[in-house]
Amino acid sequence: MNDTNEMEQDMNCGLSVAERDMLQARLGELQDTVPPREVWQRIEAQARAEGLFRRRVGEGAKWFAGAGIAAAVVLAVLNIPLAPPAVDAGIESFDATPPPSVATTNAVPPDLNALMVQSQQIERDLRALPVQPSLMQAGTAATIAQIEDRIAEIDYWLNDPQVRMNPVQTEIYWRERVRLMNSLLSLRRAQAQRMAF
Amino acid sequence: MSKFSDVQIDPAIVRRAARGDAKAHEILYRAFSSPVYSICLRFTRVPAQAEDLTQETFIEVIRSIGQFRGEAPVGMWIRRVAVSKALMFLRSAWHARGQSLDDDWEEMTFDGRPSARGSQRQDQALDLDAALAGLPPVSRAVVWLHDVEGYTHKEIAALMGKTESFSKSQLSRAYQRLRPFLDSELGKKSGAGIEESVPAC
Repeated sequence: MNDTNEMEQDMNCGLSVAERDMLQARLGELQDTVPPREVWQRIEAQARAEGLFRRRVGEGAKWFAGAGIAAAVVLAVLNIPLAPPAVDAGIESFDATPPPSVATTNAVPPDLNALMVQSQQIERDLRALPVQPSLMQAGTAATIAQIEDRIAEIDYWLNDPQVRMNPVQTEIYWRERVRLMNSLLSLRRAQAQRMAF
Repeated sequence: MSKFSDVQIDPAIVRRAARGDAKAHEILYRAFSSPVYSICLRFTRVPAQAEDLTQETFIEVIRSIGQFRGEAPVGMWIRRVAVSKALMFLRSAWHARGQSLDDDWEEMTFDGRPSARGSQRQDQALDLDAALAGLPPVSRAVVWLHDVEGYTHKEIAALMGKTESFSKSQLSRAYQRLRPFLDSELGKKSGAGIEESVPAC
């Protein structure tokens, strides 16, 4: 940006070198201000209204379809012979955002197969439940929406060809997916029971 | 010096954003919302206007990131969008008042009230933020772009649709108004007299 020549010229703008240096230093020390939280919400709402965001695979009500694709992709991977079990990652809290680039190994944890079978079973159980009522408690609706969003996010990561996860990470994602789907199934069953009464 | 260049973004995030990935855009927003909002706030001094400009900036980023070629860091590109939006706002506000950017020094602050003659207020000399607030908006923008963001007079002139002389003139007059603050700071630092400055450009 401003080069030495211009710096010299700017000294002719009424400041000595010391004054100029001091001013620039003080300006650089001024703290940034964080915008209010709702600014992102406004941006996101506008972007979605204008269709600027790509609809993710499995997003919202269509997450079920994404789940099937994710399962198909990983099942195809599982056709290869399994290597010895990987070390348990033992994560406490789940972050749906994987590191952008991860060293990949060919080891596929055997647990993954069981997790995927489990996931498919829960999907079948969910499909067997009555259709969700159009009117439901706001809290329940919000919780269900949150869980579905999380599942959709996981499916997105599992499906995105740009994201290269190693088998341990894949297993973590599938484990979280099963956990979330179990929660969803419990909520939907409770909901179905309320409808029955 | 620019805060925009301090933030490193993984190119994979930018690629995902270019594909319209909402999550990647949220990551970009979290990384750059503070410098964007701050620059908008420095230019306008009005939080509500700065919020609107921040929103416009990131909507433009979402719309146009597909055209970002990656030749410069993405932060610098976002900065350019923010500066462009903020300056467009200043221009439109001035035009709405029937004034040109050249009238900036007619003793009016941005909201149209008479300025408090910041250079004459002793308390402003102690607070750079207040000293900057006492500057007319366009001059404040020139100071910020030149001394913090590192833009040249030529670049500032191009952004504002003015000549380099206009940019230099705005900077010179801003420095004159900031002099009480500078004198106070340098006096504190050295405990001696102030260095002679060279004539204004």
